[in-house]
Amino acid sequence: MSSRFEAFLGISVELTAFSRFDLLGTGLAERYLATLDKVVGGEITDTLLAAFVALPPAEGEARIQAVRTTILGNELLGDVARALIKLWYSGTWFELPCAWTERFGPRPADTTFIVSPDAYVEGLLWKAIGAHPAGAKAPGFGSWAFPPKIPALPELVSKA
Amino acid sequence: MYSYSIRTLDELKEFLHRAMQLEHATIPPYLTALYSIKPGVNQDATQVLRVIVVEEMLHLTIAANILNAIGGTPDLTRPDFAASYPASLPDGETDFKVSIQAFSREALATFLKIERPAQRPKHLAGKGLIQRKTPANTTALGSHPRHEDLHFYSIGEFYSAIAEGIEYLEAEAYRQGTTIFTGDRSRQITPEYYYSGGGTLFPVTDWKSALEAIALIIEQGEGDGGDIYDNDEHELAHYYRFEELVKGRYYQKGDQPGHPTGPQLQVDWEGAYPIKPNLKVAEIPEGSELREAATAFNARYGEFLQLLTRAYNGQPSLLLEAVPIMFEFRNTILELIRNPLPNHPGMNGSPTYEIPGSTKQAAPTRQSEVIA
Repeated sequence: MSSRFEAFLGISVELTAFSRFDLLGTGLAERYLATLDKVVGGEITDTLLAAFVALPPAEGEARIQAVRTTILGNELLGDVARALIKLWYSGTWFELPCAWTERFGPRPADTTFIVSPDAYVEGLLWKAIGAHPAGAKAPGFGSWAFPPKIPALPELVSKA
Repeated sequence: MYSYSIRTLDELKEFLHRAMQLEHATIPPYLTALYSIKPGVNQDATQVLRVIVVEEMLHLTIAANILNAIGGTPDLTRPDFAASYPASLPDGETDFKVSIQAFSREALATFLKIERPAQRPKHLAGKGLIQRKTPANTTALGSHPRHEDLHFYSIGEFYSAIAEGIEYLEAEAYRQGTTIFTGDRSRQITPEYYYSGGGTLFPVTDWKSALEAIALIIEQGEGDGGDIYDNDEHELAHYYRFEELVKGRYYQKGDQPGHPTGPQLQVDWEGAYPIKPNLKVAEIPEGSELREAATAFNARYGEFLQLLTRAYNGQPSLLLEAVPIMFEFRNTILELIRNPLPNHPGMNGSPTYEIPGSTKQAAPTRQSEVIA
């Protein structure tokens, strides 16, 4: 795995609260990185990944603060990071807000689109709510009689 | 009458335990190959594998029904039940290894051997069992409890021994005014618990239904006495379904074995994730998420075998609980197979099916007891 892909996985874990295993388990990690490259371009993607790599290593409040200020609160990167979260959860790239486009210029590929048929199926949202995507990954006859299985929350690194 | 013929009811029960083991042992290789297929490709292969794996589950349940019918106790938690892969299976005069591996030409070649119809050639007709060539520490499927170092000519022959054993023992019992079919009927698993596959599930209550049950297992696997379809002419046997994938063409009514003339089908042999064959948990780095997930899967699979054991021992309705677990396995297996295997560039993970509490092979010990 390239260090660029590693950084992409790292920031995706940070932003989605799902594990590397879960993210790789969708089979879509490479395609989502390629989607980011295609829509916002390699330069902005690299800036986002660099911001992640530059986060303070210590686990705790300082890191969470830094994610907020240097990534989610950043004028350039914030909307891109939020679109990446939505991409992982729904398999859909949502067009960036007008404010972003007005400020940084329109990107031809930045429209709302579903990355691929399996991207819909592998959306993290289904796992997060203990459900399955309509029309796919059927959970079996009678499964509706049992409570949904919601994955345990990952251990919060914040000591606060 | 052969040296290997079944003579006692206890022996018949042990054979049926091994029949359940054999039917179950085909499921992990088929499931793994099925879920190794990448999304969007190999839809024909996906369909073929899915139907076959569901029918193997039917066969497992049918074997449990026969065992229950003669007063036996199905036990999928017995330490020797879950196979260790690669496991050996008879294929004529030799035996071969069944592996957990990705969908590939090699996997298909093994699957064809599993389901191959095989009659003894003339020079072996009436002769005894065949000497095992695989080491004694591998799981030998379809083996004879009294002759662990030998194997049947084919799986068909293994089942014929069971069928003949049932007929022999029931005839003996009949002469004494009794029957071997003394099992509690409420332990039978009935059709409402089986769907989405070919064949039907029916209760086994007497020798007639027992022999029908065995015929169903054999015919769904290898066809009806050289015919590519099963007895009802509805369903293509597993062997010929796999052959369709290898030959890239469907069979149609009237076709001769080995010569499908139906529509072409597309197989993308590269359209599968590259998993490491017969992966063991010990090969996955300690502390990795993949190892944790593979271990959790095995534990869950062990619980699943416990649940099936309870279902087969008088609580059939528990099978309803088993259904969502099987679909949960699909999701977990997909995740395991899509995760790269650390330290093995280009290779992915896989379920290992190392079930907690199962031994590699209890056979060598028991074999020495028999000889002693």
